Amino acid sequence: MKKNVVWWPAIVHKENAQKYGDYNYFEYTRKSWEYWCERNDVLFVPFTEPVEDDLFRFRPNWQKIIFVFDELERLGIDYDQIFLADSSCMIKWNAPNIFELTDRKFVGWNDRDNMRWIYDSIQGYKSFFNGFELDQYSYVSSGVIIFNEIHKEVIQGFKKLYLDNIDKFIDLQDNIVKKGNDQTPLNYWLQINNVELNLDLPIAFKLTHMHRKDLFSHNWQDGDDKTPFFIKYGYNWVFNGIPKDTRSTLIKETWDLVGHNYNMDTAKYDKILDEMLHKDTAKYTTSRKLKLDILEKFGNGKYKDKTIVEIGASQGQSTRMLSHIFKRVIAVEWDDWNLEQAHSNNSDRTNVEFVKMDLYNDKWEDHLPEDVDVVFIDAGHEYYQVKMDIENSFKRFGNPIFIFDDYGFPPGEVKQAIDEKVNVGDLVIDKFIGEKPEDLVHASGTKFFDMEGVICNAK
Amino acid sequence: MPSKNIVFMIAVNTENKKEYQYSINSWKYFCKKNNAELFLLDESVVDQEEMHIIFQRYYLFDMLEHNEIDYNQILMVDADTIVHPDCPNFFEKTNDEYCLVHDDGSYDWILRGMEHYHKYLFTDEWFNFWDYGNGGFQIVNKKHKSFFKEMINLYFENKELIIQMSNKFGIGRDQTILNFMLHRHKIDTKLLSYKYNMTCMPKKEILGDDHLYSKLGWVYHFNGIPDKNTNVPLLMEKTYNFLYDNLDD
Repeated sequence: MKKNVVWWPAIVHKENAQKYGDYNYFEYTRKSWEYWCERNDVLFVPFTEPVEDDLFRFRPNWQKIIFVFDELERLGIDYDQIFLADSSCMIKWNAPNIFELTDRKFVGWNDRDNMRWIYDSIQGYKSFFNGFELDQYSYVSSGVIIFNEIHKEVIQGFKKLYLDNIDKFIDLQDNIVKKGNDQTPLNYWLQINNVELNLDLPIAFKLTHMHRKDLFSHNWQDGDDKTPFFIKYGYNWVFNGIPKDTRSTLIKETWDLVGHNYNMDTAKYDKILDEMLHKDTAKYTTSRKLKLDILEKFGNGKYKDKTIVEIGASQGQSTRMLSHIFKRVIAVEWDDWNLEQAHSNNSDRTNVEFVKMDLYNDKWEDHLPEDVDVVFIDAGHEYYQVKMDIENSFKRFGNPIFIFDDYGFPPGEVKQAIDEKVNVGDLVIDKFIGEKPEDLVHASGTKFFDMEGVICNAK
Repeated sequence: MPSKNIVFMIAVNTENKKEYQYSINSWKYFCKKNNAELFLLDESVVDQEEMHIIFQRYYLFDMLEHNEIDYNQILMVDADTIVHPDCPNFFEKTNDEYCLVHDDGSYDWILRGMEHYHKYLFTDEWFNFWDYGNGGFQIVNKKHKSFFKEMINLYFENKELIIQMSNKFGIGRDQTILNFMLHRHKIDTKLLSYKYNMTCMPKKEILGDDHLYSKLGWVYHFNGIPDKNTNVPLLMEKTYNFLYDNLDD
């Protein structure tokens, strides 16, 4: 199956190591992309071994573009769109999935950082390209571009152009123009070949020359928030245009500030979990950890055709999480205000049905279907209520899997009802989920005495 | 006869700013070439203690109507700009929308302004910084008359706060407010190319004796320039002479 790819050129040019600060920054920028790719179901493909070993004749900047299709095919990668992101780029952990914004065109960002450098570079290569009038306002940075299979022919043509004129290009690059490597020739090639460019994506995805834009600054007039603007508002931080020997230090300092957000253990589900509130800020929902545990337990694809009933949906935060796992989510709630909020919080989810019912007075068969596979119980917290929810679930749904929230909620009536069913053999504990009592941060300060939740099977 | 397009510029207190005459002259040339009319605000509408002169541009429609000037589209442009004599008629590129040019000069200034106004005035509102337009080049039309009234109303409802914030934080007079208001009122905007409002040129490294900027766009905005009291008049004079000295009237 085709997958979107991040193509990450990071070839160490040992002879240039001094100039590039020993490439120590690779460690951090790589981790950022690995996380982002996992989070967005994108394939991360580092390009670390050159195709050609002579790195003066074949500069890494040239190799990253002219060999991209050859390498992806050699590696047997079934690519869809390809995001070429230089190793000096660090992606923000929660940057949107850019592949959804491209219109499947060749995406670039007009480079207006040092317009004189660009102008001079364009003029320098003009005669090589037979006087072609290049539009500087369509000139893109070659270190942040997105393309796909329809651009293979034009990129392969660019490779041929380089191979056929390699000595001339090296002379222009090193002795005559001395303004970049592949970038300006690539721009000529794209424009000469009338490649349709999408130049309209937000600049947040290409924050080059951040010092020039004052993006390393923060709101120095207003109190405590010293978070630099580029971190707050940018998506793809490109550490270029700065002295190259300072790059590693700057990137490490950035990583020290934000690295904790790139947790590979949770990357697969973080995007879903960022869509909703958790117990640390909203007392009426579950913790992030409990939701993560449910995603890990049920998000393996086996439940994508199954139905879950959520008993006590409250404002629909966990409902939203469940809608990413199950085919059908039936969310039961009694309170009108909660129902309104739950609707609003799930307005874009197409597999959620809300049911207003009084769980302890209405007949379940009047409101809920029989063919339910999993039931998530998080309604009344008194002993008799939990007991009724369990018994009614058995009665209506047969032998569903049970997920319980608030197992360790004081004074202990939820736990009492569950434990009783376990002790008599109606339920078998599969695993405890969510936070341990000592780790649970509750928005209203409630202290739990046992685990936050538990998954049980019917015997 | 169809209504004319208007170029509107604030030209109050220009006695000691001869460089603004270069700006006016360049825009006169543009207007003549493109059958537009130049309208100068040479007297403030309300006391400048009451409202900074820059904010008074949102009385535009009242002024035009008071002066019985029929209008189609209007460019409101700052007096520290010079337009190239060959500048295309940008009124033909607007799609009748509210047009600005993205400001990518100093995001420190822009984002501080956005954060302050978000905190104190537009508390539930936010917009993407890449949609932020510079207020020194705005093209509007009759559709935007009621929006300008909203700008004036907002000002008087929050006058003390706006003056205080502007003075305390140095985050401009109207520009950030304008951007929040465009967002609040869901005004369709179109961001034109940097060619039409070339702000903060030193950061782009295009100012210099070779006048490189004049090859890269059409409207030169002499802001973001160090030691501006000395350099802006000098640069505007040089630019005007370079572009217009050898032209016929």
